Amino acid sequence: MKMIVVFEKTPRLRHIGHLDLMRAMQRALRRSGLPLKYSQGFNPHILLTFAAPLSVGMPGKREIMEVPIEGEMTGEAFLEKLRPALPPELPCLWARPVDDRHSAPMAQLAAALYEAELDETPSGLSDAVTAFLAQEEIPALRKTKTGLKPCDIRPMIYDLSLNSGKLRMCLALCEKATCKPDLLLSSLFEFAKLPRPHAIVTRTQMFGKKDGAFYPLEEM
Amino acid sequence: MNEQENKRLEELLETVQKPARYIGGEMNAVRKDWNGVRCTFGFCFADTYEIGMSHLGMKILYYLINQRPDALCERLFMPDADMADKMRDAGVPLFSLESRAALNEFDIIGFTLQYEMSYTNILEMLDLGRVPIRREDRSDQDTIVVAGGPCAFNPEPLAPFIDAFMIGDGEDVMHELIDVIRNGREAGLSRMDILKNLAKLEGVYVPALYDVEYNEDGTLKSFSPNDPAAPAKVKKRVVKDLSGAVYPEAIPVPYTEIVHDRMVLEIMRGCTRGCRFCQAGMLYRPVRERSMERLLELADKLQASTGYEEMSLSSLSSGDFTCLPQLIQALMDRYKDKRVSVSLPSMRIDNIVKQSLEETQQVKKSGLTLAPEAGTQRLRDVINKGVTEEDLIRSVTDAFECGWSTVKLYFMMGLPTETDEDLQGIGDLAKKVVDAFYRVPKEKRAKMGVKVTASASVFVPKPFTPFQWAAQDTIDMVHEKQAKLRQYLKLKNVNFNWHESELSMLEACVSRGDRRMGEVIYAAWKRGCRLDSWNEHFKFDQWMGAFQDCGLSPAFYAYRERPYDELLPWAFVDAGVSMDYLKKENEKAKRVETTRDCRHGCNGCGLNTWGVCDWVKNPPLKDKPQTAAPLAD
Repeated sequence: MKMIVVFEKTPRLRHIGHLDLMRAMQRALRRSGLPLKYSQGFNPHILLTFAAPLSVGMPGKREIMEVPIEGEMTGEAFLEKLRPALPPELPCLWARPVDDRHSAPMAQLAAALYEAELDETPSGLSDAVTAFLAQEEIPALRKTKTGLKPCDIRPMIYDLSLNSGKLRMCLALCEKATCKPDLLLSSLFEFAKLPRPHAIVTRTQMFGKKDGAFYPLEEM
Repeated sequence: MNEQENKRLEELLETVQKPARYIGGEMNAVRKDWNGVRCTFGFCFADTYEIGMSHLGMKILYYLINQRPDALCERLFMPDADMADKMRDAGVPLFSLESRAALNEFDIIGFTLQYEMSYTNILEMLDLGRVPIRREDRSDQDTIVVAGGPCAFNPEPLAPFIDAFMIGDGEDVMHELIDVIRNGREAGLSRMDILKNLAKLEGVYVPALYDVEYNEDGTLKSFSPNDPAAPAKVKKRVVKDLSGAVYPEAIPVPYTEIVHDRMVLEIMRGCTRGCRFCQAGMLYRPVRERSMERLLELADKLQASTGYEEMSLSSLSSGDFTCLPQLIQALMDRYKDKRVSVSLPSMRIDNIVKQSLEETQQVKKSGLTLAPEAGTQRLRDVINKGVTEEDLIRSVTDAFECGWSTVKLYFMMGLPTETDEDLQGIGDLAKKVVDAFYRVPKEKRAKMGVKVTASASVFVPKPFTPFQWAAQDTIDMVHEKQAKLRQYLKLKNVNFNWHESELSMLEACVSRGDRRMGEVIYAAWKRGCRLDSWNEHFKFDQWMGAFQDCGLSPAFYAYRERPYDELLPWAFVDAGVSMDYLKKENEKAKRVETTRDCRHGCNGCGLNTWGVCDWVKNPPLKDKPQTAAPLAD
C-alpha cells in the first residue's frame, strides 16, 4: 500500500533545496523503522515521491509526499513511527493509507494556494488587485528552458486577495500550466506601478480538481 | 542576537551562496533552554560548515558537553566570504546554528585547531562575533576563549588571542575546564583568577602566565612561568580507555552535502608505525583500540539515530586494527538488510572482502587511497614509512581484481635527503600501478580502464616529529621539483596534482612559529587575509606584507635547519614522546635506518614511562609478518 503524508517545511528550512529535502526525508524514513520499499538496481534507494518540488526560499505549510510501504498500516500508526524520526523543523502532520493503484498526488495536482507576507503594504495595492483581476488578459514573460516566453497568466489565477498585509494567491500548478507566485507578484506590482516590497511567500495548500471543483490534494 | 538582527539575517540569507549552511535545524542538533543551564559553550570550527561538519572531534565534544544537564553546547562555523561581508555590512554578528546566539553571548567559546592555515579565520570569527580579538583587551565580562586539537601542541602562534589551550585528548579535560569556568563565574572571580585556576588543570596552558625572551638572532632565549599557578611543563591529556570514553550515539545529520556525509566509527586512536614526518602519529600516541563490543554497540546506535546509508572506519591506520577482519564481517552481517554500505581501509581489500563482494553490494567502491609518500625505498626508509613496493602492488592488484579502478597515490616532495632519483621514483611507481591493472585478466577488471591520480604535497616540518628541526625546501626549489615531476608523470592513465608551494611555506612558518608569529597572523588578517586554504581567497602577497609589518622573515621559520640546542617554542609542552627519542629518530633517518612498528616491541618513545601504553608489555614478536600499510586518511 501507499501512504499519503502531509508535512510542514518550516520557515527555518526554507533554504533547503528539493534534492536535499528528499535525502533528509529518506534518512528520516530509514530512522523510523517503517517497512519501506526500495528501488531495484545497483544503488537501491527508498521509494518516495513529492507532489511538487518547493522553490528554494519558500516554506510549505502542507507539503505532500507519497511513501509506498510493505503490508497494511493505519495513518496513525505510520505517524507514530515517523514523528520521532523527524527534527522539530520538519514535522509530519497527517497520513492516510491508500491502495497501490491510487493515482499519485503528483498526477492529480491542479493548483496551489500561496501566502505572501509583505514587509509593507503600499497604499493603493488593494485597488490595484481589483483592477488587476478585472483584466481579460494578463500578458507576462514566463521563464522556460528555452528562454523567456510570452504568455497570458490570467486563466492561471484562480484567486487573489489582500488581507491585512497578506496577499493570498491561488494559482495553477500542474504539468500543463503553472504560474509561479514570483511571476504573479512581479506582474501585479508592475501593473500597479508600485514598488515591490520584500515578502516571504509560503505555499499553504495544494489542490486537486474533480468535476470542476478544487479539493485539498491530500484528500483526493 | 536580537530581533532586528534576526530579521536582517533572514533577509541576507536570501542573497548568499548556499544558505543551507547557515540555518541549522538538523536531526540530532541539540536545542537546550539557555535559562535552564549554568554554562554555555560555543564550539567554533574555523572553516566552513561543509568542512567543520565532517570533523569527528567536534561531534565527540558537542555530544559530551550536551550530555551535562548544567551546560549546553552550540555550533559556530566560519561563514564563506560573501556571507561574512554581508553580515558585517548588515550588522549581524557571528551566530550559533542552534539558537542563533551571538558568539559573545557564550560563557566559553572553544576553537578546535585542525590546520594552521585556518588561523586567520579565528580572528575573523572573533571579530564578527564581537569578541575582543586580543586576550589582553578582554574584560571580566567577556567570554573566555579556549582552544584545543592537534595544532594546540604548538600553541604559541595563537598565544595573543586565546585565553587557555587544552593539550591532548579533549574528552579527558573538557568537564574539568567547564567546571572551573562555571564555578569561577558563579563565584564572581576575575578573569585572571579563573585563568589561574585553569592553569592548575593538567593539560591546560594559559599563555598570560608565561614570559618569553628572545636572543639577538631571533631565536628563543627563555620561556618561563610568571606565576606559581602555572607549571613549567604542560603535560598532554590522554584518554586511557577508549572503550570507556564518551562517543556520540547521535550526531547532527546535515541537510546540505558536506565533505564526509556519513557515520564515522573511530576504531582506534594513535598509530604505532612511527613515520618520521607524521605529526599525528606522534601526538596521538599511545595506540588505543576500541573494543569490538563497544564498536558494534556504537554502530547500531549511530545507524538508528542518523539513518545514514554509509559508514566509514576512522583512525590513523585502520589496516592495523587488531580485529579488522572480524569487525568488517560483523558490520556487513548486521547491515546486509539495512542497506548500509561500509567503506574499507584501502590496503585491506583482501579475501574476506572479496567473498562479501560476491554476495552483496555492501562495499562502497569509492576510490582507493594509498600513501606511499616517497618514490623510492631509500627515501621511504628515511621517513620510516613501512610500506614496500610489493605491499603496494599487491594491495592495488587485490582491489583491481574486485573491480576497483580508481587509485589516488599521495606523495610528498621536499622530504629530507630527497634527490632527483626519488622524484623519478614517483613516476615509476605510478606507472607500475597502471601496469598492475592491465595484468589483471580482462574479465576480472573494471571495463572503464584505470585512473591513477598522483598528488604531491610539499613536506612541512612539524613540531614533535623527528623532522621538527629540518629545513623546508624553498619555494623556488619546490617549483623546480614540480616541473620535473610534471615530466615524470606524463603517463597514460595518470593525472598529477600538486599543492600551492606558497601555502606550504606559510604552513611551515606558522606550525613552528613562536609567539611573535601571532603578530604576523594578526597583521595578515588586518590586510584582508582569511579563508587562506581556499585557493580563491589566498593572498600570498598580503602575508608577505604582514611579515614585513612585523619585521620578521619567513625564511627564519621555514628554511632554517634548527640546531638541537635551540630552545623550541613548543618545548614546554610534554607530548609524551621525548625530545631525546625524536633526536634519535632524526639521526637514524640521516643514516637511512628504519625503526620497527612498536606493536612488534617497544621502542621507548617516552610514553612507555606514562603507564598509558598497552603495547609496552608486548615482547618483540619475531615472526609476526608486517601487516599491510596504512591508508592515507
